[in-house]
Amino acid sequence: MNEERKGLKEKITNSDIWKSIFRHGYEKTGRRYTLQVLQNVWLHLHPPRISRHALNFRFTWCMGGITFLMFLVTAVTGVLLMFYYRPVAEYAFSDVQALEFDIPFGMLLRNMHRWAAHGMVISVMLHMFRVFLTGSYKKPREFNWAVGVILLLITFFLSFTGYLLPWDQLAYWAVTVGTNMARATPVLGHEGPFTPTDIVTQANDVRFALLGGTIVGPSTLLRFYILHCIAVPLVASLLMALHFWRVRKDGGISGPL
Amino acid sequence: MEYFLALVKKPDNVPILAILFLIPYFIWLAYKQARQTDRTGVPSDAALNDKVYVWPYLCRNEFVCAIIVMLVLGVWSIMIDAPLEEPSDPAKTPNPSKAPWYFLALQEMLVYFDPWIAGVVLPGFIIAGLIAIPYIDINPKGKGYYTIKERPFALAVFCFGFIILWIVLMIVGTFLRGPGWNIFMPWQYWDPHKIVPLTNVNLSYLFGIRDDTTANFFGFAIVAGYFALGPIFYFWKYKTSRFLQELGLVRYVIVSFLFLSMVALPIKMILRLALNIKYVWVSPWFNI
Amino acid sequence: MSSRRNFFNVLGWGSFTAALGLCFGPGLVRYLYPRVLYEPSSVFKAGFPAEYPPGSVSEKYKKEPFGVWIVRREDGIFYALLTTCTHLGCTPRWLSSESKFKCPCHGSGFDRDGINYEGPAPRPLERVKITLAEDGQLQIDKSVKFLGEKDQWGDPGASLKV
Repeated sequence: MNEERKGLKEKITNSDIWKSIFRHGYEKTGRRYTLQVLQNVWLHLHPPRISRHALNFRFTWCMGGITFLMFLVTAVTGVLLMFYYRPVAEYAFSDVQALEFDIPFGMLLRNMHRWAAHGMVISVMLHMFRVFLTGSYKKPREFNWAVGVILLLITFFLSFTGYLLPWDQLAYWAVTVGTNMARATPVLGHEGPFTPTDIVTQANDVRFALLGGTIVGPSTLLRFYILHCIAVPLVASLLMALHFWRVRKDGGISGPL
Repeated sequence: MEYFLALVKKPDNVPILAILFLIPYFIWLAYKQARQTDRTGVPSDAALNDKVYVWPYLCRNEFVCAIIVMLVLGVWSIMIDAPLEEPSDPAKTPNPSKAPWYFLALQEMLVYFDPWIAGVVLPGFIIAGLIAIPYIDINPKGKGYYTIKERPFALAVFCFGFIILWIVLMIVGTFLRGPGWNIFMPWQYWDPHKIVPLTNVNLSYLFGIRDDTTANFFGFAIVAGYFALGPIFYFWKYKTSRFLQELGLVRYVIVSFLFLSMVALPIKMILRLALNIKYVWVSPWFNI
Repeated sequence: MSSRRNFFNVLGWGSFTAALGLCFGPGLVRYLYPRVLYEPSSVFKAGFPAEYPPGSVSEKYKKEPFGVWIVRREDGIFYALLTTCTHLGCTPRWLSSESKFKCPCHGSGFDRDGINYEGPAPRPLERVKITLAEDGQLQIDKSVKFLGEKDQWGDPGASLKV
């Protein structure tokens, strides 16, 4: 019986289909451990070996990885939420209500999306704090620190654009207050200092580009939706790829050297 | 007290409650390791060359960490529902009208500065300053391990900015700001008609200057003096020191400007709270 | 030799980048500003003057899409105040017992003339054009603004004497 099962297993793992998917077997050897990382698309950003201290939770706090995990959770739940949400002022609020009350697991997905986003803000803040405390921004990691700062900003901007989408009081006023700061941009905002008010008006200043109008209205909802779901995540993904790649190229997780 | 409890129970404030515990925990964790390094010295190279395979050791850690985080997130999402308020109504501004918690430090700055400073210039400086950190911090020590002894100034400045100017202001904005954006202590009743007598005057007025042009020059002199005198004095006194030689003039100017800009925020807050100063510099184009 | 090559290298890539930037930069920016806006009309009629007793502040047209307070002073002069706080654009509330407009966002206060006298608001509330239409109703045009800090409140249209 056992022999038979073993034979079947070998038959499957030796089949052409199996071999076309998994390129090699799995033995507990150093060479195998190395190949497992180098030849796997999901793991190839890792080096084959790292210093032992980089495994230490007390050193890394795990916050960079948690940030990435939170991003993945928001991406997956966000895509699912998009099935039911219409970024139109008449429907947005009732679509969110429908998600909460009519759609199986809709409430759970919305909760996960919301709390993962908040979790991402916390973990990205702590990640920055840790990287500073261990001096990991120092040569040769200066540029990667700059990329990280931009990613921090993008995290805030993602959260901010997502805030408007439920189209409730909280959303509307948080975004009204937030975008009104753009009014006061020097030169480019219509109420900012040094603005030539005969040229730059409410209808062509920098706030207009963000809102798609002179007031927070339906076109703002659409613009924020596009930014939130497509434009900003795309930029964030590219920069994250760069960030991770540079972590490896700059010598892996920093250590005392 | 009930208003404060309502704030604590608000679903959107769960993260900031978590921060209340997470930040002290991680500060303690970092402090402990820094103390250890400072006492026993930097780990030797031998320990560094102690390498392990990423697969399975790191991947296993990542996997376990991901499962724990997903468990926490799952429980959080099942227990607490994301808030949904009434449909948006442009004619009805809620009182108080708060941004999400991570913007409340920014919103707090709006109390002390005009929107273009608090909303555009200072955030710009924060971003530029953060990006500049690796290029102006030329201290080669303290790379890749926790330490206090080897970089006290850098740590002090960053922790002041991160903990006091960001986290604490965020907590103040979340828990102590009530209707009319007035300060309410946890045990106080949120009176929407609370009247706070505002007797703010400009700094020039305090010095007996009534004429606009003179006030403009006075304010300019104060601000310019603030940014110039200290750095010039320090440079003149210590220009032959090794530290300044290595830093160089350009870096020195940038460091002192960014540092003074950061300190300007608490200074303005103290001026406002203690002396009721509205603006330090009133000019025809902008007020600071 | 190599410097000439270098020059053409810089020239080539420079003009390529400039051409690309000029095509897409201003084009993209212009794309974000549509030619036509589907926002509520800025002109509307607000009833007959007799509906407003002297010394009153009417919130009837505070709601969307109007967004103005119609104030009638004791001497019968009308003006229309935009319901947008000059600090960060929240909508203040009219507190009749204290006779002031109070903004809930950051605590700015304005008196019934729209003058800012407390809180962080840097300037008075904006007034918009108010005239008498042919049928005798008040007509508000929100696209024409009169700013107190620029001494425009005396201009024709900033207030209406009935």
